[in-house]
Amino acid sequence: MTEVALGFATLMDPAVLGFLIIGIVAGLIVGSIPGLNDNIAFAIFIPLSFSLSPTYALALMVGLYCACAIGGSIPAIMVKVPGTASSVLTAIDGHAMARSGRAGQALGIAISSSVFGGITSSLILLLFAPPMAAFALRFGYVENFSLGILGMASVIGLLGGSVIKGLLSAVLGLLVATIGFSQQTGFPRYTFGVDNLYEGVPFVPLLVGLFGITAVLELSEELIRDRRRGLAPRDMPRITDSLFIDWSMTKRLLPSWLQCSLIGNVIGIIPGAGMLMAIYMGYERISHRYKRLFAGKPGEPAWGEGAPEGIAAPESANNAVVASSMVPLLSLGIPGNSVSALFIGALMIQGMVPGPLLFLDHPDVAWMIIVAFLVANVLMWPISFALVRTISGLVFRLPKYVLVPTISLLCLTGAYSDENSVFSIGVAIVAGIVGYVTRRLGIPHAPLILALVLGRTIEDNLDNALNISAGSWGIFVDPIEHPISLVLILGAAAFMLGPIVTGSRKRYQARRRRAEMEVQS
Amino acid sequence: MRMNWLSKGLLVGLTLAATSAFAADYPSKDVHIIVPFKPGGGVDTTSRILAEYGNKHMTKGKLEVENRAGGGGIVGQTFVAKAKADGYTVLAMTSSVVTNPVLKETAYKISDFKPVALYNMDPEVIVVGAESPFKTIADLVKASKDHPLTVTVAGIATSHHMAGLALEDAAGLKFSYIPTKGFGAQLQAVMGGHVEMGLFPLGEIKKHADAGTVRILAVASDKPMEILPGVPTWQDSGLKIKRWTTFRGWAVPKGTPDAAVKYLSELLGKINADPAYVKQMTDYGFPLAYADAKGFTEVVDDYAAITDKVIKDHGLKEQK
Repeated sequence: MTEVALGFATLMDPAVLGFLIIGIVAGLIVGSIPGLNDNIAFAIFIPLSFSLSPTYALALMVGLYCACAIGGSIPAIMVKVPGTASSVLTAIDGHAMARSGRAGQALGIAISSSVFGGITSSLILLLFAPPMAAFALRFGYVENFSLGILGMASVIGLLGGSVIKGLLSAVLGLLVATIGFSQQTGFPRYTFGVDNLYEGVPFVPLLVGLFGITAVLELSEELIRDRRRGLAPRDMPRITDSLFIDWSMTKRLLPSWLQCSLIGNVIGIIPGAGMLMAIYMGYERISHRYKRLFAGKPGEPAWGEGAPEGIAAPESANNAVVASSMVPLLSLGIPGNSVSALFIGALMIQGMVPGPLLFLDHPDVAWMIIVAFLVANVLMWPISFALVRTISGLVFRLPKYVLVPTISLLCLTGAYSDENSVFSIGVAIVAGIVGYVTRRLGIPHAPLILALVLGRTIEDNLDNALNISAGSWGIFVDPIEHPISLVLILGAAAFMLGPIVTGSRKRYQARRRRAEMEVQS
Repeated sequence: MRMNWLSKGLLVGLTLAATSAFAADYPSKDVHIIVPFKPGGGVDTTSRILAEYGNKHMTKGKLEVENRAGGGGIVGQTFVAKAKADGYTVLAMTSSVVTNPVLKETAYKISDFKPVALYNMDPEVIVVGAESPFKTIADLVKASKDHPLTVTVAGIATSHHMAGLALEDAAGLKFSYIPTKGFGAQLQAVMGGHVEMGLFPLGEIKKHADAGTVRILAVASDKPMEILPGVPTWQDSGLKIKRWTTFRGWAVPKGTPDAAVKYLSELLGKINADPAYVKQMTDYGFPLAYADAKGFTEVVDDYAAITDKVIKDHGLKEQK
């Protein structure tokens, strides 16, 4: 407890607290700008942090990391352009809700869900880091492969209307994920001699294109259509209702928050799993809950058309990944994801190394980071409510013909700054056009993105697991050596078989009912 | 004939004048250090630390670190190879500059660069998890007679993978390679017991060994290292490899004026003599090693010779 007090005392230095708050505000702004994210912001900030005291620099980074996902949900809800990858699912129900005149409620749900997820995550970091880190260490190649398969299995829940189109989308993602050098041979595949493709299609520009540029093209289409018909361009949704969510809504969302926070925390702790996997898995799980309990009731929209759970699920899941991704980093020195890996760089500049030694050599800094996550999540709540109107009004109340080029420019700048290369701008534009065309064809994007994220993980871990087992596939379902993997594989099988079983049961029941009716008549 | 002689003389004179003017002037503007990787990694951070200390000695212009990532370093390396040879574009040079043109179809050759100075040499170390049954190299050699040892390396055809191949050739060990992306994933595999051992550059693992989460069994340096008490060299452990190190330094495009090379080389020497710099680098675990242009060239040539052999013997070159 004395260590926690030390961390708290370090954080309560007015300057350190000030940097934490600056970080939160910066995170909200950075997140809300399409094309910018925490990764890019850190890459710019870390070199500047040389002259700062380590506690200042790290407090700022913690604040920014926590608030970025909230920031991302603002443009997702207001204009259907996700500010960060973490809000790609929020855009679906969030924007639909905003269009129906409840933008304030949508934002309020996003903020409250994020804060809830964030607080659970920072409590786990504060209270259970050592046992959780031991759990994380049990994830080797075998377990990570099975986790990837479980993640891919959640595609089933994201297929939307047409199964064929959904699977097509997933296959497209898997194919794009094979571009780049093969980890097993060290040689490039499908790069056509382009050096920039050697490490695979650059991921940040790809996502910026798929989310940002696609959305911009759709906005332009709407603008042109309205103009042809002689209509004035429609306004973007405005916040006309209250931001605060009432007690009955809170009570209703609580089970979703708990379930998605659990998913987010587990995924966050496992190194290399990543935030996108958490939001997709949470979204998929909660969609079943919504369809069972709320869909079809009066005043409840269909899933994907403004369901409060459709905002609550991804927003609580993504913030639950944040602090928990620091568990393996601080306890073991192993980065949980690409953003927490940047904390290594920030510490390194100060001559510090994350891991058990940090707690011995610099206990004040180590515990300050941990306490800062909790405090940041608590402060985030009032700060977000105070700023959300300003941020959403600042840019997004612009007329559409100004908004479209502004967002395009921001997206392309963000794509460029990822690797400082013009090639990345091309990637973003091509991905945007492909995204637009596929969406016009009714091909859902969720399976594509999940496959892009997981394709490489699955392939690399499969190869290495088979290297270890000398080619035996039994290693994935070995109940003694790899029980975690067995459970994950069974879970994946249940995900995949579930809809088939329920589907055929429904059909069977319908047939029986028909037969009974025929008998009666 | 006479005109020709005259014009030659004039040319030489002009060149001399230009060179001396250059020497007096250099550096008159910012010097860009190109890091061919994204921010946050070892090369990026050490480059930024160097720039921070180097700027204390710079009067006109500053050292500016610039990231040009992509292609496993090839994009940024090619950028410098094709840059203007005026001393204002410097490559943060790593061992991969030597092996990339041999392994892959790159647009540059190693001879397109002129080494400036060396600042860090990382000997390769053999690492096992804290709970591993292997206490010594002899244990590893014995186990390897029974089955190929699973060893995690940071990618196929990297310096670390080649170190493993060299060990197989020289010491008769048998390995099954588990390539991973980056040192963090390697650390996870070693600490979690998912592999039997790992090959790491010392700088990336030193602090974790200090923390007791992993053990270093042997180091590929010429003689035992002071910072690694009780750890034998590869040679002394009977592995029959005298030295295996990766390096970090600065290089410029070939044709860069000698005055600029000399200035930068001396600048790195001044930084290396700064106690605050020494403390910051050693705190993190980067073994410092300064060598001027001549010394660095020898290190590069030495490295090219040993890796060329491994690449040839094991057919690592990309087949077209």
